[in-house]
Amino acid sequence: MRVFLDFQESLRIALSAIAANKARGVLTTLGIVIGIVAVTTTMTAFNGMQTAFREGASAVGADVIYVSRMPWIVMGDWFLYRNRPNISIDEAEALREAFEGRAIVNPTMNENRDMKFRSSVMDDVTIIGTTDKLAIVTNRLPETGRFLLTYDVKYRKSVVVIGSTVADGLFGQASAINKYVLIGPSKFRVVGVLEKQGGSTFGGPDFDRQVFVPITAFTKQFGGRYFGEVDIAVKPPAGEAEAVEDLEYEVIGEMRRIRKLRPAEESNFSINKLDSLMGAFNSVVGVVLLIGLLVTSIALFVGGIGVMNIMFVSVTERTREIGIRKAIGARRHSILMQFLLESAIICLIGGLIGIGLATLVTYAINASGMMPARISVGIMAAAVVISMIVGIFAGFVPAWKGARLDPIDALRYE
Amino acid sequence: MAMAAPQDADLDNGILFLRDVVKTYLMGSEEVHALCGVSLTIADNEYVAIMGPSGSGKSTLMNIIGCLDVPTSGFYSLGGESVANKSEAELADIRNRLIGFIFQTFNLIPRADVLHNVELPLIYGGIGKAERRQRAMEVLERVGLANRVTHRPNELSGGQRQRVAIARALVFNPSIILADEPTGNLDSRTGDEIMQMLDELHASGQTIIVVTHEDGIAAHASRTILLRDGGIESDLRRDNPARSMAKTSR
Repeated sequence: MRVFLDFQESLRIALSAIAANKARGVLTTLGIVIGIVAVTTTMTAFNGMQTAFREGASAVGADVIYVSRMPWIVMGDWFLYRNRPNISIDEAEALREAFEGRAIVNPTMNENRDMKFRSSVMDDVTIIGTTDKLAIVTNRLPETGRFLLTYDVKYRKSVVVIGSTVADGLFGQASAINKYVLIGPSKFRVVGVLEKQGGSTFGGPDFDRQVFVPITAFTKQFGGRYFGEVDIAVKPPAGEAEAVEDLEYEVIGEMRRIRKLRPAEESNFSINKLDSLMGAFNSVVGVVLLIGLLVTSIALFVGGIGVMNIMFVSVTERTREIGIRKAIGARRHSILMQFLLESAIICLIGGLIGIGLATLVTYAINASGMMPARISVGIMAAAVVISMIVGIFAGFVPAWKGARLDPIDALRYE
Repeated sequence: MAMAAPQDADLDNGILFLRDVVKTYLMGSEEVHALCGVSLTIADNEYVAIMGPSGSGKSTLMNIIGCLDVPTSGFYSLGGESVANKSEAELADIRNRLIGFIFQTFNLIPRADVLHNVELPLIYGGIGKAERRQRAMEVLERVGLANRVTHRPNELSGGQRQRVAIARALVFNPSIILADEPTGNLDSRTGDEIMQMLDELHASGQTIIVVTHEDGIAAHASRTILLRDGGIESDLRRDNPARSMAKTSR
């Protein structure tokens, strides 16, 4: 009861003290506002990057295992991978047979070529030779038209499904379906346009600048039947996503068998997953975030010093009041709490204003199209907690000074 | 010097009991003896004036009686309880419950209204809202300010402010009222009103200690203690104190 009353009284004093010094409060708060905006925006931007990356990378497929010559993220000794043999179409076919009925196995090959439609040209489009199964592996659906069919692959049809950026670039608003485009020297018929995938940030692949052709047509038109590099995607059947781990070992085993590797030999291929990509992304961007937070927290620290300064003023101004309160029975902790609350509330107000401004900044980032930044409830809660902690830290020394005042000296203070 | 153990009889008699109280301050490297061995017993419902020129130890004695300060040596008990070896928090509680302060400069909290100022000791004493309000209103009625509860101190006259301070001093029903020059900042007519109020409080059974340098104020008390150079020079009882006979408005 007594503690509660103490708290209530402290809160009441703190609020009236802030209300009595509005201009001073606003100026003091400014430092905290700037600090919180900086910290919050940093976190929001990190979230945005992560979201952008995840959205983009979802085309990779969360439960899909990729067998490739090289790991996606090469750490260190690149030359160790350089001499690995390419994965051939025959190896892909052997793997498909091994997993027949147990998992979907889909090979892809890719080349970059210019694409033309009448006078419109797009340079350096990623041409991917694949099968109809790609749609299942990556969950990418055509917005208009259709995806590749088994028939297209079997009969080496010169048809192409194009990404949204390519569609915009070559056809603008007009329909692309059944138009003939030139990929390098070869003519292909557009049969589908894919949904926009988005999120091509940080030098990652631009999924909307890809086009898909039957792998059979790909090897015929662009060569590579014997020297092209194949990536194999292995996807566990739907509903058995938890089996990915086991599947990974099986895939490694099968590939080693296909390549006739002896037990002592190291695998001369790599297994890639979305997880490893996310992990690499997080470790890189995590460092950036850490540095960002470190720098922005300096702003918050400076703001905190400002609050501490003003709290010293506030304690000195109210020395006599402290004396009165002590004379009529206030204990040290009552005085301590009174000033701690005052500085915590000043910082909290700063924090709330900061969150408001950070929300505006976030909208601005969103509107600018840099990244899908989003301010989350978690970030807001963190900002509130951080600002209050800054307030309590900044207020502690002044409040302690006030709480320790001798009542006689304090009463005598003019 | 061996400290004289207080006699039980003395403790029974006195609501306030000092024996050989010494207070020494360190001013730079020099020791200043503000009080050098003051012994004093004040009984329940006494009306005592403490007088003395500046530097006589008057303020120091008041601070010690008010538990704002502790003696360097000697014995002090209030309401039958020794004040020695009390922690800061315990001293705060004694000030809160046993002592009602009235200051020359009123010492109200400027941003709080009258009611809140009077409730303050009860808040620090942990009294719940309903009881607090009731007790505060009772004492405010007693000092005739029940119709001013929402005013801020700066909206009141000096006399009214001092009456708020009296209400605040009374609200916890203290053992003693300790008034330090209670009329020092008031004109003589208002001062008379305040003294009249103290007289009434005394008449209703309250123990009152007034620290003053004015003979006219001291004349209200039934006992005058004169301090000089940190010791008691005289301790006189008066049979016919100059009480104001006019009734204060209620």
